[in-house]
Amino acid sequence: MAHETPVHSDDLSLGDRLNAVAAWPVRVLFGLLDTPFRALQRLLGIGRMPYIFLLPNLAFFGIFVIVPLIINFAFSVTGGDELFLSERPYVGGEQYSYLADCGSYLDPQSCREDRFWRGIYNTVVFVFFQVAFMVLFSLVTALILNREIRGRGFFRAAFFFPVLLSPVVVALIWKWILLRDGVLNAGLTSIGLDRILFFVDPTWSMFWAIFVSIWAHMGFYTLILLAGLQAIPPDLYEAAEMDGTRRERVFWRITLPLLWPNLLVVVVLALIKAVQIFDEVFVLTGGGPGTATQFIVQYIYTTGFANQVQNFGLAAAASVVLGVVLFVLTLVQLAASRRKEDG
Amino acid sequence: MTEIVLKDVRKAYGPVEVIHGVDLNIESGKFVVFVGPSGCGKSTLLRIIAGLEGVTSGDVVIDGDVVNSEPASERGLAMVFQSYALYPHMSVYKNMAFGLENSKMPREEIEQRVNDAAAMLQITPYLKRRPRALSGGQRQRVAIGRAIVRDPKAFLFDEPLSNLDAELRVTMRKELAALHAKLGGTMIYVTHDQVEAMTLANTIVVLNSGRIEQVGAPLDLYNHPQNTFVAGFIGSPRMNLVEATTEQANGGIDLVAGLQRISLPAVDGLAAGQNVTFGGRPEHIEIVSDGDGDIVATVDLSEQLGGETYLYCTPEGMPQMTVHQLGQLPVERGQQINLRFNRSSMHLFDSSGQVIANGVGQ
Repeated sequence: MAHETPVHSDDLSLGDRLNAVAAWPVRVLFGLLDTPFRALQRLLGIGRMPYIFLLPNLAFFGIFVIVPLIINFAFSVTGGDELFLSERPYVGGEQYSYLADCGSYLDPQSCREDRFWRGIYNTVVFVFFQVAFMVLFSLVTALILNREIRGRGFFRAAFFFPVLLSPVVVALIWKWILLRDGVLNAGLTSIGLDRILFFVDPTWSMFWAIFVSIWAHMGFYTLILLAGLQAIPPDLYEAAEMDGTRRERVFWRITLPLLWPNLLVVVVLALIKAVQIFDEVFVLTGGGPGTATQFIVQYIYTTGFANQVQNFGLAAAASVVLGVVLFVLTLVQLAASRRKEDG
Repeated sequence: MTEIVLKDVRKAYGPVEVIHGVDLNIESGKFVVFVGPSGCGKSTLLRIIAGLEGVTSGDVVIDGDVVNSEPASERGLAMVFQSYALYPHMSVYKNMAFGLENSKMPREEIEQRVNDAAAMLQITPYLKRRPRALSGGQRQRVAIGRAIVRDPKAFLFDEPLSNLDAELRVTMRKELAALHAKLGGTMIYVTHDQVEAMTLANTIVVLNSGRIEQVGAPLDLYNHPQNTFVAGFIGSPRMNLVEATTEQANGGIDLVAGLQRISLPAVDGLAAGQNVTFGGRPEHIEIVSDGDGDIVATVDLSEQLGGETYLYCTPEGMPQMTVHQLGQLPVERGQQINLRFNRSSMHLFDSSGQVIANGVGQ
């Protein structure tokens, strides 16, 4: 058994003494915190202690995620406009069949709940273009920022900056630019062009919804791709140079395959984020003109909370549908990142 | 067969010059090793030859053509990297074939070349595997195979064995020597390991701080170092180098270092009152009986390796010296021993470190 050499108080320096005095309240506090855990450990045994430490987080997660999920599902199988579940009649899958009641799924107007299908249709269009251009622009930006260009640090920060802004701030900035009397129209009229009513034209509204969303989030995906590019050993490019590989072939045969796992993660994350789109576009266009930029999350919000008749059951059913879609996308993302780890 | 000539090659990164005017003639078919400590510029020089770095001034000449402005791909050289630089997402076969596909070679010829190289390097069973499924030695063979298939004018090796364990390094060293004998091409090899340099090279180029210190055959450098840097760098364990002053003595010169005095015969270029450095390799110092030695030293440590013994001992007033003896030598720590420098293998350098004499009589 090892014996500790006793430290005589005479051996302590002034600094040590001050430290000992300062540490006293900390020791007392730790002792107080320790006592209940020691008691629990005696009661439950050391093997069960990890669950005690996991419990607060699990409870938090349960209260704010699991329980609302269950409540939401319960609402989706009830009808009426009462707020409390106990007062709502059970209707089974009626809300779901109401949502799914369509003459043709490709024509929202043929559906009983056409705003739901308009929301889905708009979301699909938005997701397709937003994700495609987001990934493309992020990739191009990352490729450029990975080069030895002048002011590289500044540009990296500049491209990432919008990610730090609140979605509402992003939308308000762009609204200020795009309104009838906004900065952009002032610019157009100053060079003799007609002003464009961006938020009155459905195509322009959708374009700006996609554009602003890409502008706001591109920095994050650029960062992921930049990290992926920097993880490719420079030796490989030198070997390719020695092998006489043309620049475009280097990109297609070396850069892209080695960046593929990062690219996959970016695509799936962007997809999930795009399906969830709400706040920026809601502030920017309010879903208009008409329902031209009303997406699925906005449909859920207005159906459940903003309409005069608050249809909680229908909104809850639409939420479940969206939840299932997001769950599938999350599984794809998990599979993609697992493949990356294995690779 | 390819001759590579460097003419007053300089390389600077901003205001910092790292290669200071290197002139070198690499003869066709030779195995030339660039050796030197870390940061001496050996890899930079290799990359300049490869075309991966440009020169600040001077010329790189390959087979009579100045290639300064030619990109790496146009120089017809192949390089084996320290990290192997294998494409991780391609099979071994694809790795070896990639450069040939770039040159749009017919598929049958690519297949022939890859299969021949794989057979030569004994990696045929691994052609379908990815690099991550190979051991370090196998990866190194693939990297060499990738160079061989291109049938380059010269092979460039950038510390190719430094990521391998000691045992594998010895094996690969022998295989590289055999490969050179078989292929007969010009090979330039960079290493900081002077054992690799001594065993592989026809010609060694010793570099220090961006300058060539000496060029020559391995044993030439070992026997006739031109300065204290080469004397200390070539040979393992390193040469014992001791600063001394010279004094006139009857019929010769005495070297005085600390309390020790070593008598030498007259040496051309050596006069009394000079500050000099004398050197003796550990294997050129004998343990002799009382009265026959040059110096008396106290043993600090002895390493008994069975077939040989290394003694680390300190003569009074001198730095610690290493002595190598064949066989087993029972010596105790603290024991006093008499040492004598073998005069024919003794080296003398002037105060600027340049050689005065390699060997000072019998």
